[in-house]
Amino acid sequence: MKKNPLFWAVLVSAACMLLSIGASLLFNEGRLVYPTDLSAYAFRLADLPMILSVTAVVLSVVAFSLQAFLTGRRRQRDPRRTRKISPWLGLLGFLGLLGFLGFWTYRLDGTVTPCCFFMFFGFFGFFFEGKLSNTLMDERYQENVRRAQLDAFKAGFALLWVVLLVVGHGPLWGSLELTAVALSSAISFALGLTLFLSEYLLYRYDHDESVEE
Amino acid sequence: MAEFICNLKRYRLLKDLTQEQLANLVGVRRETIMRLEKAQYNPSLKLAVDISRVVEAPIEAIFVFD
Repeated sequence: MKKNPLFWAVLVSAACMLLSIGASLLFNEGRLVYPTDLSAYAFRLADLPMILSVTAVVLSVVAFSLQAFLTGRRRQRDPRRTRKISPWLGLLGFLGLLGFLGFWTYRLDGTVTPCCFFMFFGFFGFFFEGKLSNTLMDERYQENVRRAQLDAFKAGFALLWVVLLVVGHGPLWGSLELTAVALSSAISFALGLTLFLSEYLLYRYDHDESVEE
Repeated sequence: MAEFICNLKRYRLLKDLTQEQLANLVGVRRETIMRLEKAQYNPSLKLAVDISRVVEAPIEAIFVFD
């Protein structure tokens, strides 16, 4: 398969950067590799290869991303049809399991940020969106989209209401921090659930006669 | 959803059109036409008018409300 010239530009500049990092570590005291105080930075000629290679990588990555974005927009020609994506993207939903890292990092150093990854469970919805790829969005489809989104938001808000009701009774297990962990996990999960349900219900409403009216 | 009787299939066959052809002519999916014929979907006024023009029959003859 013929590769995009910009793809090679990214690869070549990344290879140049690796070489210049090696050169910097071997012959230039690792300047620009180890943390540098930029306010006290004085330019040296030996820094030049690494500065040039970093600039080349950044520019080629920006150009590559821009080209990919523009190509994607050009491919999405018919605005009356749904976007074309593969149902396999639904596997990204397993990234939601990363949310459990939050319980580990909380015990390790008090960080709760990974709990937000529960939101990624919503990516399971890509499976159903992929199944409805390139579908003509006629009035019945649009009506089903509105219905599915409304039902999904209702479910998400109901979950949030239950969580807030529980949290409203006071700190969980007597700890305010654990309450924060539970709250960020539950809110992220509710968002993921809403994203997933909007796609799943749309698919059901569009295909399954038994759920109709 | 309001209950109604749909005579679309009869008028469509009179014009010798398939569901797919009618769907293309009025800009919807074949599944939408299928649901319409089973009276499982209540169409918008615009779609009803478009169908009526294509099959050359009055709206009130195609969709009969009690």
